[in-house]
Amino acid sequence: MRDDRHDGTGWHADIDDLRAYARGELRAPRLWSVDTHLVTCAICRGTLAEVSDPQTLDAGWERLDAELDAPRPGFVEGLLLRIGVADHTARLLLATPVLRASWLGAVLLVLAMTVASVYTSDSPVLFLALAPLLPLTGVALSYGPALDPTHELAVVAPLHGFRLLMTRTIAVLVASLGLNGLATLALPGYGLRALAWLVPALALTATGLALTARLGPVLAPALVSGGWVALLMVTEATTHGMLAAFTGPAQGVAAAVAVIAACVLHRMRDRFDASPVPSPFTHFARRSTS
Amino acid sequence: MTSAATVSAAGLTLRYGRTAALDDVTLGLGEGVTGLLGPNGAGKTSLLRVLATAVPADRGAFTVLGHDPATAAGRREARRRLGYLPQNPGFHPEFTAFAFVDYVAILKELTDRGARHREVRRVLEAVDLTDVRGKRIKRLSGGMRQRVALAAALVGDPGVLLLDEPTVGLDPEQRMRFRELIADAGASRTVLLSTHQTEDVAMLCHRVIVMARGRVRFAGTPAELTARAAGRVWIGTQRDPGARAGWRTGLGTFRNVGDPPKGADLLEPTLEDGYLLVLDGEPAEVASV
Repeated sequence: MRDDRHDGTGWHADIDDLRAYARGELRAPRLWSVDTHLVTCAICRGTLAEVSDPQTLDAGWERLDAELDAPRPGFVEGLLLRIGVADHTARLLLATPVLRASWLGAVLLVLAMTVASVYTSDSPVLFLALAPLLPLTGVALSYGPALDPTHELAVVAPLHGFRLLMTRTIAVLVASLGLNGLATLALPGYGLRALAWLVPALALTATGLALTARLGPVLAPALVSGGWVALLMVTEATTHGMLAAFTGPAQGVAAAVAVIAACVLHRMRDRFDASPVPSPFTHFARRSTS
Repeated sequence: MTSAATVSAAGLTLRYGRTAALDDVTLGLGEGVTGLLGPNGAGKTSLLRVLATAVPADRGAFTVLGHDPATAAGRREARRRLGYLPQNPGFHPEFTAFAFVDYVAILKELTDRGARHREVRRVLEAVDLTDVRGKRIKRLSGGMRQRVALAAALVGDPGVLLLDEPTVGLDPEQRMRFRELIADAGASRTVLLSTHQTEDVAMLCHRVIVMARGRVRFAGTPAELTARAAGRVWIGTQRDPGARAGWRTGLGTFRNVGDPPKGADLLEPTLEDGYLLVLDGEPAEVASV
């Protein structure tokens, strides 16, 4: 965006960028750079006035004013913008309840305690059993009124509910799987076996979301979590140990469940837009109002 | 319902277990501010939530500016034309006022950054919050938060605005300021204002709907509601046992509302008197104001 005009104090915006800016045709991120530069550079503001007609110049100043009011992106938002995430998507992600430091800190604490238990018990079972539940819990809490104070505003907004759900789900999955991955690195002695939580995690999350369309954001993940614990207990009772649930064939079954659940979820996507998905607690919440 | 109705509803019914929150509600709204009065549990919030498409009705149908929310396409079009201020608006407290309204604008599909930010500026200016746009919401007063919520509802210039008790918890000065904002908003669009305050209705509304137990008990102009109490308000030296309601005034006399005895000293009725009489027959603790 720089050209070779120089006044001894710094470089200036490219004349073609200024012309495009004046016409309202300059696109981000060059638009943001020129916006920022114009605030501090009187020479470029003068150049802009020369290449603009009055009407488009006024529109440009209005746009500049709006930019000055806009919040500066924080560290995470700036990072998302730099890797190419659209600014509106980045802002939606920042409003995801479970991406807050308090939730992520709690997950880290649970994982640290679980990893410590692996070292004391000399078995990865507890870690493998727990790790798949964390992404499911995070995704469940990111959708619904429990943790999202603006849930009702999101429900009545024209943005498709399924799109918002998927945006948040992907963000939570990336964060949760990343933390689980860090915990896995703390268990080098178990090799690839320590990664056996990954496919069950995807299967549980996809199944939980698919059932959420029918059962709501509380009952569905609760049932799936209970089912997972029950499955592990049955495995413990009927085989030589819980680790049988993490063998190759079991991983294949989990992968199949994940794919089927994802297909069911896609087919039911419009249910996330029609109305709030029913919840056992919705009834009580509604009665508290007139 | 009138032919000029921007919101038309017929037979709306919503039940929670055995309780009917809405019981066969039929109404039509036009441009301007319509007040929605009723005691706690009357169904005001339920009606607004159904019209806002936050919950589906069990029975009945409605349209918003000609769009039927019962279909996916109609629901999306209706939502594009609706602004909704819930009874307890939620915020992301760490967001600034600008960032929060910006977030709501994204939910309303304004994805172009420049156009969206201009719209956020416009609505913050409309509610007189330009000076605190950079403040975190957790540092704003209750009145300012309500104005942030109203700004969020105004994003996209909706043709229909649904406001659920927006003046609750505000001090008199804030309430007056909010009334000005609602009056401005109602100048060019349909506003349905749910409130407990009969003063709000008297000052702001060109029409009023009174609900009780999920049903519409009255629909008309504020003057018509006031006229319901004509000849039925009188002053006495004690609370008349036959009065529907009665209370001691600051002058030590008693203002009675109901069926006056012969020779009673009649008073000019107010909108509140009319409201009380429309609710006549409701349980006393519900009808008391």
